[in-house]
Amino acid sequence: MLAVLAIITLPLIFNDTYWRTNLTICAINVLLALGLDFILGYAGQLNLGHSAFYGLGAYVSTLLIVKLGVPFWGAFAAGVAFSGLAGMFLSLFAVRLRGHYLAIASLGFAVIIYQILLNWISLTQGPLGIYGISPPPPIAIGGTVLVDFRNLTAFFYLVSAFTLLVYLLLDQLVRSPVGETLTAIREDEVSAASLGINGAAWKVFAFGVGAAIGGAAGCFYASFVGTLVPDAFFVTEAFNILAMVIVGGMGTLIGPVFGAILLTLLPEVLRGIGDLRLVVYGAALTFVVLFMPGGLAQAARIVRDKLGFGGQTS
Amino acid sequence: MTAAAAVETRAPIAGAPLLSARGLHKSFGGVRAVSDISLDVSSGSIFAIIGPNGAGKSTLLNLISGIYQPDAGSLSFNGHNLSGMPAHRRVRLGLARTFQKIRLFKQLSVLNNVIAGFHVHHKIPAWQYVLHGPAFARDQRHCREEALRLLEFVGMTTRLHVLAGALSYGEQRMLELARALATGPRLLLIDEPAAGLNAAEVDVLLDRIRVLRSGGITVIIVEHNMDLVMNVADRIMVMEYGRHLFQGAPAEVQKNPAVIAAYLGGELA
Repeated sequence: MLAVLAIITLPLIFNDTYWRTNLTICAINVLLALGLDFILGYAGQLNLGHSAFYGLGAYVSTLLIVKLGVPFWGAFAAGVAFSGLAGMFLSLFAVRLRGHYLAIASLGFAVIIYQILLNWISLTQGPLGIYGISPPPPIAIGGTVLVDFRNLTAFFYLVSAFTLLVYLLLDQLVRSPVGETLTAIREDEVSAASLGINGAAWKVFAFGVGAAIGGAAGCFYASFVGTLVPDAFFVTEAFNILAMVIVGGMGTLIGPVFGAILLTLLPEVLRGIGDLRLVVYGAALTFVVLFMPGGLAQAARIVRDKLGFGGQTS
Repeated sequence: MTAAAAVETRAPIAGAPLLSARGLHKSFGGVRAVSDISLDVSSGSIFAIIGPNGAGKSTLLNLISGIYQPDAGSLSFNGHNLSGMPAHRRVRLGLARTFQKIRLFKQLSVLNNVIAGFHVHHKIPAWQYVLHGPAFARDQRHCREEALRLLEFVGMTTRLHVLAGALSYGEQRMLELARALATGPRLLLIDEPAAGLNAAEVDVLLDRIRVLRSGGITVIIVEHNMDLVMNVADRIMVMEYGRHLFQGAPAEVQKNPAVIAAYLGGELA
């Protein structure tokens, strides 16, 4: 409820274009962080290539719209599905590789995808980028336009409603036996197998879901910004998403939401102090990793325990 | 009601052993960890595998549970050929195990460790995983009740919400037993149950194993402490250097000169 209220009121409070743009980017980043958290925080698979799924979703949907004239929501579904399949493909490595080895393989995957986007010029126009990507079609009944997504606020509502839906579905999923199953794989694969858990199949599932969510974020990003260049999906983006998940708190859903919001808005808030903001940003990140490995979620738990609240945070 | 009653009953095939192995071999590099092992475990018995450290007992257990695949030989369980079958599928046939070096999910609570063990038994339509409905609620209630029953069986109902990593060693062993039972086994493989336990805890554990057997669960215990299995096992196999040394009832094992020479000899000489 609080989340719905926040989504509705935020664009009304921040009523200039700059902040509304940031809010939408926030919502997209929350989506990315949720996807990675499902793979990393729940299934425990060290995926350093989440930017690849983000980029694939963006490029697949955009190319379908621009080159083939596929309607937005069809292209959206295709982008999500393609990213999900790419995630499942990468998970085949996760079946054989663990920990650091998987991290390197997934990083390599992200580099390969980036290079393809950059160099397949006949298809992606490489570093020149794709321009003039139109926003999702307006929702209209009988010729009367109800919602026009050229309006920043409407676009923000669209992305945040989708993100909220994803959050709620994931929340149900991790509160079901699937949550215990994925945690079991994260904690001890041999032990999980001794309980009848097919680790390989569940990794494919976790990667598929997490990557598809990343793909959805990419579709929204492309149509929101209207411009697509490969640099938006360079591997540093994967580390940004990783930082959001870690700062927020891996293995919780609410943590990465706040991690994504904080790490999206912090650099903007600190813009006033010039390049010093990068130092503050870096210091804040280091501080969290060193002293609060459970991230914001852990900090919230500690505060709640200290104050003696028994309630839930949601 | 005991835990065994909570377990799904599967009719044994009359006359045939529940588990039988023929000519199992397993080498690691140049080391023959298990060499030409054959055994038959009859339904409803407690079968012990003993031998000094490094005799290949745990490797044999890993071959039976499917963590390793044998280099040669065959394994069949309740009429199913286990060759090439991965560990997680053997669980569905009714094979469960515990580990010598305890492998609990340390970040999960005691209760959730056991609930994770119900993995193969959930009856939830796929869509109710993301939209919890009545079938989901029924399944969860059922799991919780069964988990509580299993935790009562191992005497841990007061520790439900403690993280498994925070338990004492003895409690961890008992929790691992409860978790293995949650899969609903016909055959339970227990690897070195006494390791790290004091005498009183070992007695409790052996008592629980006897109760399980009387409830119809067949048990294989791997143990290097011979005295411990003498009281509980119906049949004992002695291993040395990966090979089969002797097999028989506890009294026969104690009297067998080859066993005394090889297994206890070092201490007597």
